[in-house]
Amino acid sequence: MKCRILHESNHRMRLHIMRYRMTLGQADILEYYLKDKDFVQSVKVYDRTGDVVVKYAGKSQRDQIVAAMASFSYEDRKALALVPDHTGRALSRQYEDRLWLTVLGKGFRTLFFPRPLEIAWTIAQSVRYIYRGIRCLLHGRIEVPVLDASAITASMLRGDFSTAGSVMFLLGIGDLLEEWTRRKSIDDLARSMSLKVDRVWLKTDGEDVQVPIGNVKAGDHVVIRTSEVVPLDGKVIEGDAMVNQSSMTGEPVPVAKHVGGVVFAGTVVESGECVIEVTKESGFGKYDQIVRMIEDSEKLKSATETKAYHMADRLVPYSLIGTGVSYLITRNPDRALSFLMVDFSCALKLSMPLAVLSAIREAGDHDISVKGGKFMEAVAGADTIVFDKTGTLTHATPRLEKIYTFDGMDEMDALKVAACLEEHFPHSVANAVVEEAKKRGIEHREMHTKVQYVVAHGIASLIDDKKVIIGSHHFVFEDEGATVNEAERERFDSIPDRYSLLYMAYDGRVKAVLCIADPVREEAPAVIDALHELGISKICMMTGDSERTARAVAKQLKLDEFYAEVLPEDKAGFIRKEHEEGRKVIMVGDGINDTPALSEADAGIAISAGAAIAQEVADITIKADDLWRIAALRSLSMALMRRINRNYRTIISFNMLLIALGVAGVLAPATSALLHNGSTILIGLHSMTDLEKGEQTHPA
Amino acid sequence: MTEKFCGFLWGVLFGTAGITLLSSKDAKKAYTHVTAAVLRGKDDVVKKATILRENCEDIYADANDINEKRAEAEEAKIIADARRIVEEADSRKAAAET
Repeated sequence: MKCRILHESNHRMRLHIMRYRMTLGQADILEYYLKDKDFVQSVKVYDRTGDVVVKYAGKSQRDQIVAAMASFSYEDRKALALVPDHTGRALSRQYEDRLWLTVLGKGFRTLFFPRPLEIAWTIAQSVRYIYRGIRCLLHGRIEVPVLDASAITASMLRGDFSTAGSVMFLLGIGDLLEEWTRRKSIDDLARSMSLKVDRVWLKTDGEDVQVPIGNVKAGDHVVIRTSEVVPLDGKVIEGDAMVNQSSMTGEPVPVAKHVGGVVFAGTVVESGECVIEVTKESGFGKYDQIVRMIEDSEKLKSATETKAYHMADRLVPYSLIGTGVSYLITRNPDRALSFLMVDFSCALKLSMPLAVLSAIREAGDHDISVKGGKFMEAVAGADTIVFDKTGTLTHATPRLEKIYTFDGMDEMDALKVAACLEEHFPHSVANAVVEEAKKRGIEHREMHTKVQYVVAHGIASLIDDKKVIIGSHHFVFEDEGATVNEAERERFDSIPDRYSLLYMAYDGRVKAVLCIADPVREEAPAVIDALHELGISKICMMTGDSERTARAVAKQLKLDEFYAEVLPEDKAGFIRKEHEEGRKVIMVGDGINDTPALSEADAGIAISAGAAIAQEVADITIKADDLWRIAALRSLSMALMRRINRNYRTIISFNMLLIALGVAGVLAPATSALLHNGSTILIGLHSMTDLEKGEQTHPA
Repeated sequence: MTEKFCGFLWGVLFGTAGITLLSSKDAKKAYTHVTAAVLRGKDDVVKKATILRENCEDIYADANDINEKRAEAEEAKIIADARRIVEEADSRKAAAET
């Protein structure tokens, strides 16, 4: 691609693509092409001018970038494949254009319209606001639209059409900004939630094969097991399942689906399993479905926002009364009018959602996906945080280090059986087993029958009609009553303490013990300290793992409390107890066994590498590779609350000042209207800026 | 009186021939071209604004670079000073011991 370097400095280069124009689609292709390169730190493509700004680390990367640009083409297949269906570019362009047209139009009209035309235009525009005000009154409510309509009408009746015009202009800009930010946030959120590339279990003759979701056609049969998200719309042809449809219908109680029942993409199988015949292929549904869900749900509004809205509405009658009273006292319509011109409501109503939505966007920049302002509020106010151990405080992929076999079992056979059973379930310990089998080159075809997963305990199945089980000590010995070959008892007891142990038994006899090493994440101790400093007084860990391993980890991380061998309901129970003591709780987890706790907590955080059901149920999703994101989330949420409070105080004090000056006669109503609306817009725009400037520097 | 009658005539003309003219196909084509021109004008204005914005970002980035370099130079100087002081102290101590 022919380019020209417009500007270059140490870590930044601005290039121009030498073509007549750049369409939105082309801009996206270029953006994703460059973002994919690892020598590129950041990319911004300006489609209007055909320019691209690239940031990089140093001289050697600079040459790589030049080479990459030279070899780029809009037909590049790989780049085309990287671009998702919905980028935010078209939406941004649409709203930018509207904003510009509004501003330019106003400028043109102010400069060139003769007075009669200006009057006619202003009256025409005011119809909309007056209509809204009257409709509000007819519903028996005295709220913000009434105030706006009276301010505009009052100005026009006094012959002051330019003030009325400027009030309407600023109100219009405010509305546009609010609508833009809201749509952009929903768009960003929906995009991040629908981007996960799913793989599904396709049932072919005899075997189940895992394929990417895009390869599945209508009429294919897909197997869905416990804790999995239904990937596509379909009809049940085999099996029974309890499906949680809250993502579609909002009802939290799972619905039973039998043969012939219809299931929807995006719902979750809570228990049971079934085979469905796909009725609609992937591609269309998911993004639009998520957008609809977010728009319908009340999740977006935080308690502070709703409080601000109600306060704004409640102040309207007082503004009107104030106008009347000041007229009676001063006998001067100008002064009384300043009460009408300055209303707290539109400032509050504009800046609060902008601040919240901008904070959610900024969290998104840190790879934290927040589903609503309510949850950032909860994170800021929490005093307790509960961590799951495996996959959260420890790495998502623990390693299988040793296998002890008993009763004449061969190590490779044991691993083969274990991997075969474990690969069906998205638990990090299961992943370790499967990984090790893959590393040792063990191929395993499905040799077992129906696999049954007992949540937090283990897996049971049948091989050659005999029961094979894998699971925790409690499950294998106490629930299922397996026994150890007495002759090998000593060896059994000598297995070192530091591992997490997975027991495998066949036909009631222990055949193998798999030792899983579960190293704690390197950044975990520092993150725990940071969280303490950020004001969280109680940091706990709850795990289904054994007492020994839990105690070791708790000591290493200096946790306030820890609980081992915990069942999923106990995790939720603990959170309920904390609620009774009046404490606010954050729960961080990644697996199926964390879901009751995640719903119970004030803010449930799921790690993105974990089970899909955890991410569906959780309020916030964090990308897996770095625990620091949790500390970042906490400080971001606290900064948001500080900003909201500061906005509150600024708006109220500044506007009271304007009213006072207006009533005292110092300011003309036109000026106070201008100052009020102008400050509203400025506060609104400021609320959209980043809460925490610059790179997050933390000891990494 | 005649004024009012003139006004009435204008109104009649507008209501009959005027409206037909203004909503005819030719007029519609004219509106389309005018709108296209306005939009082109808008795009042009926004493009110039974007160029201005890009240049401002260049200036901002370069200014930050300059400040960063100066800060690093100052920092290096301080470290150099501290090192010098430490070395002088060490040599004095060594001299005192001998």
